Amino acid sequence: MTTDATPVISTSQLVKDFGRTTALAGLDLSVRSGEVHGFLGPNGAGKSTTLRILLGLIRPTSGTARVFGIDPWAEPVRAHRDVAYVPGDVTLWPNLTGGEVIDLLAGLRGGADENLRRQLIDEFDFDPRKKARTYSRGNRQKAALIAAFSRPASLYLLDEPSSGLDPVMDAVFRRHVRRVTADGATVLLSSHILAEVEQLCSRVTIIRSGVAVESGTLAELRHLTRTRFRVTSPASPELLSTWRGIHDLRVDGTAMEFDADAADLGHVLEALATAGVTGITAAPPSLEELFMRHYGGTAAPGRGSQKDQKSQVL
Amino acid sequence: MRAVFRLALLQARRDRGTLAAWILGIAGLGYAAATAVTTQFGEDNERAALISVAAASPAFLFLRGLPDGISSGAVTFFQGYSFTAVLAGLMSAFLVVRHTRGDEDQGRFELVGSTRVTRVSSLYATLLLGTCANVVLALAVAAGFIGAGLPAQGSFLAGMAVGAVGLFFMAAAALVAQAMPSARSANGTAAALVGAAYLVRGAGDALGTADQSLLHVTAAWPSLLSPIGWGQRIRPFTEADMLPLLVIGAGTAVLAGVAVALRRSRDLGASYIAANESGPDRAGAGLASMLGLAWRLQRGGLASWCIISAALGAVAGGLGPVVRDALEGNPSVAELMSRIVPGDAGLIDLFTTAMLGISGVLAAAAGVEAVLRLRAEEAEGRAELLLAVPASRLRWLGGTLAVAAITTTAVAASAGASAAVVLALSQAGGSGPGTVLAAALAHIPAALVFPAVTALVFALASRWSSAVGWGALAVALVLGQFGELLGLPTWLQDLSPFRHSSAMPVEAFDPEGALLMAVVAITASAAAARLVRERDLAA
Repeated sequence: MTTDATPVISTSQLVKDFGRTTALAGLDLSVRSGEVHGFLGPNGAGKSTTLRILLGLIRPTSGTARVFGIDPWAEPVRAHRDVAYVPGDVTLWPNLTGGEVIDLLAGLRGGADENLRRQLIDEFDFDPRKKARTYSRGNRQKAALIAAFSRPASLYLLDEPSSGLDPVMDAVFRRHVRRVTADGATVLLSSHILAEVEQLCSRVTIIRSGVAVESGTLAELRHLTRTRFRVTSPASPELLSTWRGIHDLRVDGTAMEFDADAADLGHVLEALATAGVTGITAAPPSLEELFMRHYGGTAAPGRGSQKDQKSQVL
Repeated sequence: MRAVFRLALLQARRDRGTLAAWILGIAGLGYAAATAVTTQFGEDNERAALISVAAASPAFLFLRGLPDGISSGAVTFFQGYSFTAVLAGLMSAFLVVRHTRGDEDQGRFELVGSTRVTRVSSLYATLLLGTCANVVLALAVAAGFIGAGLPAQGSFLAGMAVGAVGLFFMAAAALVAQAMPSARSANGTAAALVGAAYLVRGAGDALGTADQSLLHVTAAWPSLLSPIGWGQRIRPFTEADMLPLLVIGAGTAVLAGVAVALRRSRDLGASYIAANESGPDRAGAGLASMLGLAWRLQRGGLASWCIISAALGAVAGGLGPVVRDALEGNPSVAELMSRIVPGDAGLIDLFTTAMLGISGVLAAAAGVEAVLRLRAEEAEGRAELLLAVPASRLRWLGGTLAVAAITTTAVAASAGASAAVVLALSQAGGSGPGTVLAAALAHIPAALVFPAVTALVFALASRWSSAVGWGALAVALVLGQFGELLGLPTWLQDLSPFRHSSAMPVEAFDPEGALLMAVVAITASAAAARLVRERDLAA
């Protein structure tokens, strides 16, 4: 696996206005070679707009975007040379069959790997003889995924790719993401499905209202959140509530539930040991929590807003 | 019932701009025609001269309709009725398909169908909206005629004659929408029906019998097969007859009833003419490039356009001799004709020339339609998928534009070839097959201007491409057909590319005009290719 210093994708202060609405308000995004980068955000956060800029389909109002160091607006053909793309909302040519669509799209990229094509059609349980007008949303998505994965690329841009897939097909999709990254490819995976990002991605950028509010490895992001404890302890709840770093304490007889800040974990564990416990579970913070923290708040987005929000919560 | 009204209001809300443009455009055309007649042909003898020449010219009868006296109203109705009726038919047909098969295609119907409405509520709403639109259209046409100084009673009847044809094609399109598997095919079929109604009426009128005064022509039987022919029989400004209105109304009711019954017994999304559900699992070698894709998407449409234009060519080649023979039986017509165009072949050539002029318009329309696929590809999201590959927008646009040029050329050529063959087989004289074919091909440079301009508008602002593309063709048609009648300044008439086509075989080939149009088409195409890179792809 390569880990070049130069990022495969880099955007700096990317702004995109559509008339009076601002889709991107200064987005910084950096995707390193060989990683699966999760691009996480709610509907309307600007994920698709970013991908469309990275493909050179739309021009940024200001700021820069580079793919393999190339400006995709100025030189789309060069930038696309080794890119596979699956849009969020796949529409196909109603009177072409699925197989024809796959051959067309893979062919325009240089031609499908026959073995891969066969394997993908088989694994996705896809009927390539049907006209595209008869396909459901999931099947249209499969056609685009098969076209994307049937020819090796260095960069895969996937916009909410599994939103129409059932769990079995989702597993096939994940397997192929792992396959291409094992071969050294880079993947940018936009999603609002946290489980998908947690399972696949090594690094995550969280976008909200057109700006990146958080970026880092999953481990780094987890540091920013709390661990949930469930303990059974003879210690009085009043005592616990005085501990540093304890939040949202709920008591049910001797069972207690609370969250603890990452920074105060050591302190909390020491205190628990002193107080004595008869049962304990500690769950790692889910991205869900991280997500809710960023999107649940009402603070205006922008630089420094995450700090403001945190202080509100704390 | 409430649901039907609410749905009709929703559909009207969606259509308000489109319908307003259609209605104002059609009524405006009527007003302009009436004004032209009352100002340019203010005297009885001027109108009598115009009408008697028309009565003796089958090409005129074919294109316009039946001369029916020399009052200003009658002359206006003769000049303008067929065109306004065709436009009313197209307006109504597209309106219905948009809200029926179009909504089913786009999946909107499912959303509406899940509410407390029956399967046919939406169709009723569309028919209600279409009826209202045609009533408004009839009143607007009448208002235009009255505004231009025509008698009120005749104006209202003339408006009704236009609106009735609109209603008929509204019902016909409702039926077509049940039968065809896609909005595209439904629109094409419905528009072809409107075109056929015009052509059948034209054949009936061209074969009609002129009376001794040469001021009235009675249509031959084919006109009875066309709702436009029936509408013409209302004769609003001479001896008004309401029976044809009842005939059209009955036809409308039957068609609408069948459409409702079919919709009631049909699954959502199903069609009586089924589209192929399956096909090859591998793409052929042709589908490996942007050009190949453009060809694949267009080839079905290309075949349909060629069949239509070949049919028109057959009419052009076949009807001329028949018309000449019919005219020879009428001594006063023959006498007048021999003064206007000397010689037998002259009459046939005149007819062929007029018909091939229509084929030039068809060729332009086919090219515009081919280019507008780009707009559909972009608006429906397929362009995004297509342009993420290492191929430039230039190749995307270029491929489609090339296929559009092939389409335009093929449509003109098939009209010319079919006219040449049929005319040669009839052994009736007229120009030789080579000349007839060349006459059709001579329209290609002017016709190519339309797809090129449509591509340019697409490159600049894609959402206007459809309105501007079809609008330009409509304007050119009006300038060509009515420019001289309206007494428009030459420079304005010269804006129509068709003015620069040579009307062969009557006129000689004018290489200068053809070259000028070719240069315009190429320049517009090159500008489109340059500019399409400069804008955002629409989401």
